[in-house]
Amino acid sequence: MNVPYIVSLAYQYADNLAFLLLAALGLMIILGVIDVINLAHGELIMLGAYTTTLAYHRAHLPLPACVLLSFIGVGAFGMLLERTVIRRFYRDKLGALVATWGISLLLSQGMLLFLGPSLIAVPLPEWTLSYAGYSFGGYRLLLFGASILVVLLAWWIFYRTKFGVRTRATMQNPAMAQALGVDTRRIYLYTFAAGSALAGLTGGLYAPTTTIVPLMGTTFVDVAFITVVVGGGANPILGALTSSALLASISAPLSSAFGTFLGRIGLLLTALVIIRFLPRGLSGYFQDLQRRRMAGARS
Amino acid sequence: MRGPLGIFSRVGGRQDLGRGAAFWVAFAIVALGLVAFPLFGSAFYLSNLANFFVYVPMGLGLCLLWGYGGILSFGQASFFGISGYVYGIVAQNLSLTPGASLLGVAAAILATVIVAALFGYFVFYGQVSAWIIPLLTLVLSLILETFMAQTAGYQWRIGHVLLGGYNGMTGIPSIQVGPLEFGGASIALYLLTVIAMLLGYLGLRLLVNSHFGYVVVGVRDDVERTRMLGYNVARMQVTVFALAAGLAGLSGVLYVSWGNYINPSSMGLYAATLPVIWTAVGGRSSLIAVTLSTVALKWLADSLAVRGGEYAFLIMGALLLATMLFFPAGIVVSLNRLWRRARRQAP
Amino acid sequence: MSSPVEREPLLRVEGLTKAFGGIRAVDELNLAVAAGELRCLIGPNGAGKSTLFSLLSGIHQPDAGRIVFKGEDITELSPFRRVRKGICLKFQTTRIYRGLMVGENLTIARGKVRGTNGRLEWALGVLGLAGETARPAGELSHSHQQWLEICLALATEPELLLLDEPTAGMTPEETALTADFVIKLSGQGVTILVVEHDMAFVRHIARGVTVLHYGRVFADGTLEEIEANHEVRRIYLGEQ
Repeated sequence: MNVPYIVSLAYQYADNLAFLLLAALGLMIILGVIDVINLAHGELIMLGAYTTTLAYHRAHLPLPACVLLSFIGVGAFGMLLERTVIRRFYRDKLGALVATWGISLLLSQGMLLFLGPSLIAVPLPEWTLSYAGYSFGGYRLLLFGASILVVLLAWWIFYRTKFGVRTRATMQNPAMAQALGVDTRRIYLYTFAAGSALAGLTGGLYAPTTTIVPLMGTTFVDVAFITVVVGGGANPILGALTSSALLASISAPLSSAFGTFLGRIGLLLTALVIIRFLPRGLSGYFQDLQRRRMAGARS
Repeated sequence: MRGPLGIFSRVGGRQDLGRGAAFWVAFAIVALGLVAFPLFGSAFYLSNLANFFVYVPMGLGLCLLWGYGGILSFGQASFFGISGYVYGIVAQNLSLTPGASLLGVAAAILATVIVAALFGYFVFYGQVSAWIIPLLTLVLSLILETFMAQTAGYQWRIGHVLLGGYNGMTGIPSIQVGPLEFGGASIALYLLTVIAMLLGYLGLRLLVNSHFGYVVVGVRDDVERTRMLGYNVARMQVTVFALAAGLAGLSGVLYVSWGNYINPSSMGLYAATLPVIWTAVGGRSSLIAVTLSTVALKWLADSLAVRGGEYAFLIMGALLLATMLFFPAGIVVSLNRLWRRARRQAP
Repeated sequence: MSSPVEREPLLRVEGLTKAFGGIRAVDELNLAVAAGELRCLIGPNGAGKSTLFSLLSGIHQPDAGRIVFKGEDITELSPFRRVRKGICLKFQTTRIYRGLMVGENLTIARGKVRGTNGRLEWALGVLGLAGETARPAGELSHSHQQWLEICLALATEPELLLLDEPTAGMTPEETALTADFVIKLSGQGVTILVVEHDMAFVRHIARGVTVLHYGRVFADGTLEEIEANHEVRRIYLGEQ
């Protein structure tokens, strides 16, 4: 083990972590607050990537502006979805899952008919750093930085703003929150929009790194789903962070040694073992731990 | 409910639509018509019909699992594919041995049930939330498709059978019993699919109206209550999950016997979606509704594919969304309710 | 104690502790219930009555302590195995299969046991459910739904029956009927623990009473002793 090798491993870990985090966070926030799984999440990511790519090529906007546009545009689209479809399923959570699957088919196939099988990708900003024979993509490092920033921002909104307090109250007990004057429907609307906006952001950020095809969402959701299952919905931010930290430590070495596919298999098996023993995922487990500790402190 | 007549009263029990003499007379006429159809129909029609009927056991399995057991799974296509591939490997490797194809059928369905039971063990014994199963089964389907798609080349072979990568496994022998070959255009396979469909339907109808079936429904309606009546709910859920997978496996075997071919997209995302669409659109609370919708929607998808496949996805997605929004109980089940209400109001 | 030899109680609970959200709902609780006993558990809201039942039936695992039933440690046993050992619970909020017929509810509850369950037939008759088997359970009146749930529990042939607020929302007449029924059931040898808020019910039963407070046994005795206990009146009845 030499230092450059460790640095290279750390780089791969950071790269994996950022991908898992950005792919799953939006989905997880929606699950945590609304208790709904949005199976069209991958297609929202796809919409984000398309928005950025089109804005870059056709409107000639600089890349950061394109990504911002993805964030806002897909967030607005999410708001529309919540108003027209998701809202009808708050009593039937599995129904929401099936309905969003229908939306996912409509979006990916609609995009295929609308814009054809693929778009020319945004060129990857060519910043490379090299160190002791290894070269690292600067854009990848930027993605890692972005993922950490996004988590910090989400944390700040959740724990340091009035909206966050209302949201957490709604998560704990919607009926009680409503009785205390919280407009839970509005909380749900904004949460769904925020989760969608995060999907759009992810799509925009990753647009330069991948091929832009209508089915690209699936490459994000398989790991996103596993991250959500392992993280659990009890505390979306903590769950997303711990879950992607754990899963990246499995997928990074597996993928670099045996390829992406075995990395994915490793993730699925990890998820199965974790839910066998921690059915509410890591965040559910931490929640229980915390409760027990609080109980111990009281007596 | 004792004695030989008990079975009849049970099959006609409350846990499905279609009770009473009129239903059973119609059922018998349709069943006889299907069995007698080879006397009139051309080989082309028989082969087409067989292709539709092949999927009915898989759809019925999801109906049992989701509609009666309350467990939504996108895993049926994965089990269909696993079964098809295992059958292909066994039957093709032993193609010179007599009875190899029957061994292949047994191995395929057994493998499917074992994989499902293992998967189910982790999921159900942890008592996870309901949304985890559709998520993980979707991931399973994505991973299996990706895996099989990259198995191109000579190094990916089991015995002397090539897995075939994205193009799939070809040259799989049809099921053969003695001199009888259940090939794609044969009357034998057509009749086999009809029998699988009818027995699958009747058998599951018997099951859901049995004590076991009521407990399955009890688990769906109130897990905690059922556990508190002394039932090992997790074991029951694993059993139902494995049974549904076994039915998907039966469909998989029939499919490769029909087409002598299987490829990774048979377990991919679109394939994983279809059973969910059949079950939701027909009405998951009714076996007969899902039987009808499976055949009808398979026919619809094939007709769409002929006129440009890219619309098939779109129309299926729209159908699923529209059903969930406007007929959450399913179209056949909703129509049945309307009809019954109309009849009650008629003088 | 009539017997000079200290007999092993049917149920013994030692040092049972369970915390939720920072509060010890059940706090090192000790309890012994003899076979054939009929006892009411009372206590102010949040005293830990329902939590105790959820621990006894295995819905929740205790943080500490043990539960011994018929001389066997069942602390680690899953809920369904406890039912098979002879402990059955009627939930606080009625849990029956509302979408199924009354008869189908009973079919599920009775398991694969064939033959007649005399006690169940008797209970269905007394509680006015005998003629209702072909009715959807969700269409029954509120009280009948509660009674049906008790019958579902009886169908598992329990030795220890846990009733969590069996008369909530009932009229005084229905409460009295339920109390008479519980007394008769106890007379047939079923050991019964009842959590109840309604003092009319507790007085009607007029047997042993255990008072829980802050997750512990606060007082224990006959109805007369408990009603005469000033401390109990202070915490429970709110008297100064």
